[in-house]
Amino acid sequence: MTTTREPFVRRLRTALLGTARTPLVFLGNFEVEQRWGGDELGLPRIALTAGDAMVNRMDEFALLLAGPDDYVVLKDRPDPEHLAYLEALGLALPHLLITDRQDPHHTVTQDALDSPALLARLSALAGVAALVPHGVSVDEEALAARTGVALAGSPAAVCKAVNGKIYSRRIATELGLRQSVGWTCETVEELDEAVEHARELLAAGRTVVLKDSYGVSGKGLLVIQDEARLGQIHRKLHRRADRSGDHRLALLVEEWVDKTIDLNYQFTVFRDGGVHFDFVKEAVTAGGVHKGHRMPAGLTSRQLAIVRQSAAVLGARLAQDGYLGVVGVDAMLDPEGGVYPVVEINARSNMSTYQIGLQEHLVPAGWSALARQYPLRVVQPMRFGEVRDALGPLLLSGAGEAGMVVQNFSTVNALVRAGTGPAEGRLYGFLIAPTAGELMAMDSEIADRLAAVTEGVRR
Amino acid sequence: MTMASEATVDRAAVVDHVIDAVVAVLNRDSVQVTEQTRLMDELGLDSTNVLELLMHLEDRLDIMIDSDTLEQHHFESVGTLADYVLEQGLA
Repeated sequence: MTTTREPFVRRLRTALLGTARTPLVFLGNFEVEQRWGGDELGLPRIALTAGDAMVNRMDEFALLLAGPDDYVVLKDRPDPEHLAYLEALGLALPHLLITDRQDPHHTVTQDALDSPALLARLSALAGVAALVPHGVSVDEEALAARTGVALAGSPAAVCKAVNGKIYSRRIATELGLRQSVGWTCETVEELDEAVEHARELLAAGRTVVLKDSYGVSGKGLLVIQDEARLGQIHRKLHRRADRSGDHRLALLVEEWVDKTIDLNYQFTVFRDGGVHFDFVKEAVTAGGVHKGHRMPAGLTSRQLAIVRQSAAVLGARLAQDGYLGVVGVDAMLDPEGGVYPVVEINARSNMSTYQIGLQEHLVPAGWSALARQYPLRVVQPMRFGEVRDALGPLLLSGAGEAGMVVQNFSTVNALVRAGTGPAEGRLYGFLIAPTAGELMAMDSEIADRLAAVTEGVRR
Repeated sequence: MTMASEATVDRAAVVDHVIDAVVAVLNRDSVQVTEQTRLMDELGLDSTNVLELLMHLEDRLDIMIDSDTLEQHHFESVGTLADYVLEQGLA
């Protein structure tokens, strides 16, 4: 029987390879921006590795995107009870390829490159399957070269080029898409000019934001509300340039725009330059804190038309620049309901991409879904069974029912396994209910039950 | 005029400044921060707000921090960040 979740994977195969028959090998190398932006000069950077053990275990998301004929490379074997649960839901899981060893601070690709047995297994897929990374960096190109498995998608240099926020701003200007007032800074001299404009905005009571061109979504931002702070960061960037003699920069200076709703939409660019609009989702916040994505987004037909038209022109423009594959765009609505259709282009898979399989397979027509993460205080590695018992009937029991699917369980234990003591864990859930109201009530009860598990562990 | 090199450096005062800077960045009233508070594990500070934290600290101590000299372990807790400031002779 053909499952309803196959269409996106089939479409992706056709988009990337021109045929739906070639199996894909998925690699969840999240925060690939770190690799793209490694030698770019943005905001002053402090070498922090604390969070990367969590990010690197987001590789497990690929499990629910791949089809049954596909392969997924993972840093570690998933919890067997979690796998059994997913299978019991009727999800046909892909073949698993586990790295020989894992370093919590390495991406799945970096671990794969250091895994002779896995490399041999991958080499056997040369000419049979194609690699589909979360985003293509030089590491994924190296893996393709080492194994002979073709890389489906664009070269790393193209991916990097079209992912810069400087590129987003330029093509949005070129295509006449609405965006905030702002300036691109590729040299310290351009920054000097932009700072003058920013000063005027601050004097008029506005807020300004500095953005790393290669910052990960929501990171690499500095919001500035007064001239003193603007002068301080300006001096810091000057000082760095003067000391190194390198006056290059990869920064944006923009006006911080009032927004009421964040949107995220996705389209796929095909080999023939065609563009397919995949979806638009709405970010859910509570008291200003990001909680996840709700689908469908509650847009008016006019707002939806602007989003779809923007996707079409952006896709065509990216195709011209040689890009092929999945593109996620962050957008927003202003307090009057006006659409800012391009805040940032992410020419790679996105969190939302990994929810498509669940949407297609498990969400009845007309129902609502919410994807979000729950924080857990983890004292020692937890088993999926503990979470299953805590959630009870709130854990989804089958297609057509209401409940939550655990989308990623490895992130619960990522930090506690990487460190030496109690640590924060994240449980990624995908909630399904007939209405948005029921969804939010379920969310609240799940949060309470998970908090109680944490309390239990503490005692 | 400050004579930091000759003055007796008051570690407790530096710790207080670090706490003030942390509270300013978090922008949360209810948060309890002490010298032992772990910045990342407990407060969730990350690369996004660490730069802002350093800038608040520069304001409070009237210093300039060179971010190239900072390492992961300096952000372990309020106390380790205060020690970094003292080691660098910044206070």
